[in-house]
Amino acid sequence: MKHQITYIATHHPRWVYAATLLLVVALGSQIPRIHIDTDPENMLPEAQPSRVFHNLVKARFDLHDAMVVGAVNETDPDGIYNPRSLAALHALSERIMAIDGVIDRDLMSLANADNITQAGPGTIRFEWMMRTPPADAEAAAAIRDAVARLPLLLNTLVSGDGRAAAVYVPIESKDLSYQVSRQIQAVTAELDSDDDYHITGLPVAEDTFGHQMFVQMGISAPLAGLMIFLLMWYFFKSPVLVVAPMIVAMATVIVIMGALIGLGFTVHIMSSMIPIFLMPIAVVDSVHIMSEFADSYSEERGADEVIRGVIDHLYAPMLYTSVTSAIGFASLLLTPIPPVQVFGAFVAAGILLAFLLTIVFVPAYVVRMRPAQLAKLHAIAQATEGSSMVARGLRGAGRFAFSRPGLIIGVAAVILALSVAGIARIQINDNPVRWFKQSHPVRVADRVLNEHFAGTYDAFLVLTRPLPEARLTGFADAARSDIDAIEPLDPGLRETLQAALAAPDELDAVISALDDALFDAEGPAAAQIEALIERAEVLQQEQKFFLEPDHLDYLERAQQALLDSGLVGKTNALPDVVKVVNRELRGGGGEHYRIPDSSNAVAQTLLQYQSSHRPQDLWHMVTPDYTSTAIWVQLTSGDNQDMTRVQNHMDQWLAANPPPGGADARWAGKTYINVVWQQAMVEGMLSSLLGAFAAVLVIMVVLFRSLKFGLIAMLPLTLTIAFVYGLIGWIGKYYDMPIAVLSALTLGLSIDFAIHFLQRFRSVAAAVGYPAAREAMFEEPARAIFRNAVVIALGFTPLFAAPLVPYITVGAFMASIMLISSAVTLLLLPAVISVFANRLVPAPQPAPVSEPDSQAVRSDTGLPHSSQGASS
Amino acid sequence: MKPSAWFAAFATVAVSTASAVAAEQPLTDADAIVARANLAAYYAGADGRSEARMVISDSQGRQQVRQFVVLRRDVSEPGYPAAGGGDQEFLVVFSRPSDVRGTVYLVEKHVDRDDDRWLYLPGLDLVKRISAGDKRTSFVGSHYFYEDVSGRLPAADQHELIETTDAHYVLRHRAVVPDSVEFSEYTTWIDRETFLPMRIDYRNSNGEVYRRVEAQAVETFGGHPTVTRTLVSDLAGGGSTEMRFRNIGYDIGLPEDVFSERSLRAPPRQWLE
Repeated sequence: MKHQITYIATHHPRWVYAATLLLVVALGSQIPRIHIDTDPENMLPEAQPSRVFHNLVKARFDLHDAMVVGAVNETDPDGIYNPRSLAALHALSERIMAIDGVIDRDLMSLANADNITQAGPGTIRFEWMMRTPPADAEAAAAIRDAVARLPLLLNTLVSGDGRAAAVYVPIESKDLSYQVSRQIQAVTAELDSDDDYHITGLPVAEDTFGHQMFVQMGISAPLAGLMIFLLMWYFFKSPVLVVAPMIVAMATVIVIMGALIGLGFTVHIMSSMIPIFLMPIAVVDSVHIMSEFADSYSEERGADEVIRGVIDHLYAPMLYTSVTSAIGFASLLLTPIPPVQVFGAFVAAGILLAFLLTIVFVPAYVVRMRPAQLAKLHAIAQATEGSSMVARGLRGAGRFAFSRPGLIIGVAAVILALSVAGIARIQINDNPVRWFKQSHPVRVADRVLNEHFAGTYDAFLVLTRPLPEARLTGFADAARSDIDAIEPLDPGLRETLQAALAAPDELDAVISALDDALFDAEGPAAAQIEALIERAEVLQQEQKFFLEPDHLDYLERAQQALLDSGLVGKTNALPDVVKVVNRELRGGGGEHYRIPDSSNAVAQTLLQYQSSHRPQDLWHMVTPDYTSTAIWVQLTSGDNQDMTRVQNHMDQWLAANPPPGGADARWAGKTYINVVWQQAMVEGMLSSLLGAFAAVLVIMVVLFRSLKFGLIAMLPLTLTIAFVYGLIGWIGKYYDMPIAVLSALTLGLSIDFAIHFLQRFRSVAAAVGYPAAREAMFEEPARAIFRNAVVIALGFTPLFAAPLVPYITVGAFMASIMLISSAVTLLLLPAVISVFANRLVPAPQPAPVSEPDSQAVRSDTGLPHSSQGASS
Repeated sequence: MKPSAWFAAFATVAVSTASAVAAEQPLTDADAIVARANLAAYYAGADGRSEARMVISDSQGRQQVRQFVVLRRDVSEPGYPAAGGGDQEFLVVFSRPSDVRGTVYLVEKHVDRDDDRWLYLPGLDLVKRISAGDKRTSFVGSHYFYEDVSGRLPAADQHELIETTDAHYVLRHRAVVPDSVEFSEYTTWIDRETFLPMRIDYRNSNGEVYRRVEAQAVETFGGHPTVTRTLVSDLAGGGSTEMRFRNIGYDIGLPEDVFSERSLRAPPRQWLE
């Protein structure tokens, strides 16, 4: 097949150009339809139970994603409680409420909080905390005193040290966060205030990340492309030649991104990195061709014939390295995380597309180069090979590797052992805020606000206890037969009553229907209906589980247990409301800061709480039927580790203190969801890595038709992965989303050098014998590996300038993988080969590895085809 | 003029008067229309009684019921039981849900000063006086405001007649003290015959209607056209509260001592059932 492909490419180059252009234009035209998705929640499939519950809880308690705007005054002796700061806070709140997408009724700020106070003996007063800004210091101090009495506000809306105030800004949709936060920044810039303003919260971090990610796609990927272009120019000295790989790379990126977008996939954090991954991977195959072509070109044979020979020769190794790299990425399909699956699938497809484009487009390109350019290319290639410092160094390395195998294998074993120890130390942790550099405003805001407040990260511990089904059906069945027995009763009315019992858990409706019937009934019928109402009311009391003082008491203890974890800054829940209102109703004395004795008293207390400007606030804590309640947990850290510790702490506590009535306790909230998908990611990555490892091993055995060579080929990969992750463990960098995903990349890339090295070694050894092969391998083949390692490693250095940590991580990973796997390939493989030389290398005979090859002998001298290096 | 809510239940204008008015030329003076509407909505008969059931729905359609009896008496001396427009007393006694049964509000509405309000909570066995404070807070968690209980005084707003249709006077109202209210303005549609406000739209500073009160059913009791079903909708948040009235009676001879502090702990059963 390869002959036909090359024939078409070299005889109809214009067709190839046209077809490539058509493909690029057709799919590139889809790119403007791009839809960015930055929501880490989408790391979980829609139907994932924790995600479903999280969204159920959001709906049940009418909770919205919120950003936190903080105002900090470090200089005024009264902190934030000075008239000017409070006036600015007031203006800020008002203006934020006017921003589109902000849910103004649920915005939380001193400017729209309610206050409940004593207004003289026996008199209670409900009013806005700060309807208008305080006129003087005295009025500001009065607000401070009022806040100090309201645990729901203290440390949430104003910091305990009085230096900072917060505005919680709920938004209709989290993907508005970045845009709303920009508008808030514009507002704070105009405020008459010297206070520092910060904006934080997971929605802002995530959406801002998405925005910057988009920018980075436009900066980092082209920069990496430029860097690679310059490096190749340096190595090949011919800009005209180097344009070909660049066209292949760009076409690959455009086609793959166009296909991804055109197929309706959102561009998630992961898929935004596809261009950056594909750019260098797409380049290297062409580098092989160009490089060998430059070496072996001669005017007599002509470009057409030479290029066909080159393709013929490189087809197999390029195919195998492309396939193994593709498998590395395709293994991501084994993770349970949709965006990672999409990323893996499209990178894998991109690798195969790059391979195809390379063997079609590059030949078409070179046959259209002018003979003068070709001749010059060849001259440069001949002149620069073999005499450089790099070449001398590599030869030395080769001699060392073949002569001191014990030392090298020993060192490798020690490194492996240390790496394994390092892997055991790996800390699994993530936090979207950490995806920004330390100095980024999002990171700064997070730090400053969490220093002052009880925490800007939210989680919810939700307790649910519906009335047992048996109680409801028992009541409904008894009631039905009672209704049948009521005489006299209007038949229509009887029907209405029976209909109301169809949904016995809607006890309000049942009671209303009975009450309506009572209105029209007389005599004994009325008495019977009244008895029925009474029973329904008893049942309703029982249904209102979280009105019971004992159960509120349990919630209080759970809140205390959360605080005892040491990682929770504050909790807000139903008992806090009940206790504050009870205290104020009973005269404001601290001794009344407690839960009243009966559920009726609790209900009446809450009736008063709801007589505020914000009656809906109650339903953020408990459902209207009181069967489910949410403890809002504020954490100062959004690290998954900390959330997990809180969960573990509460798991133990809940086991020792089972919820009353068999109530169910579950977590929700963004901070918690991040933990869930991270766990899925870690487990998924392990299985994906193992799956890919097995697949690559099988391919190696097939490729080399030898189990021994197959196993040896896995050495660089194994050592590279172990080393990279061991290093992460030792330096204490958290194993987070980007690092997890990069395992696939490591696997796909670090096998490549081994393939090229071993395949070359076998064919060279077969041709010239083992001793000569040792020398020959450290001529052109070693240089090719080195050159490719350098191109890719340096090609990614522009990523270090990105403001987003995952991009920097990718850059560091790429460089490490290249350097380590090339070093392992060039040192450990020769060492292992020399130990097992007798068993690995048969006596010289003309039998190359995959197929008979007229060029094999010539190229195996080490001179011609320059880079069979990393064709990943 | 704050005719929303259940106080529309007591709304009345003698039918004869209403017909006479309809026959005449339409009124053109906004203040006069508001004064008539105030009487229609709040001063039917010299006293009155009604059973109310509120169904509070949140944006997800979850419902809660609150049921109570309202007793009302005009205290304007010595004209009692004359034309009205003066001070009034209200006693609101809750019967459902059962956990708030026996909760009582006593309101003395004054036209020339802040109202007096008391509260009794049986579960805590506690009588509290409620400071006037802000009257535009939720009434027991519903979408009605406390001010809907005591009534918004006509003098609190400036009124403007913006249109007279076949059926309604359409007026626009702005608060005299804008900082004291959450609305920027509101518009009322006042029935030209009964002078009952049939619809009120509250607008915020962006001119958006965020709250609407509608009279959905009107029946006549003792010659007084009375709203028997109203709906207040939170157009921004999506919830609503419907209130229905039954057992409506006017001029039933409620004695003065029914509206005493004693009734808080011991509600006058004979007038409630």
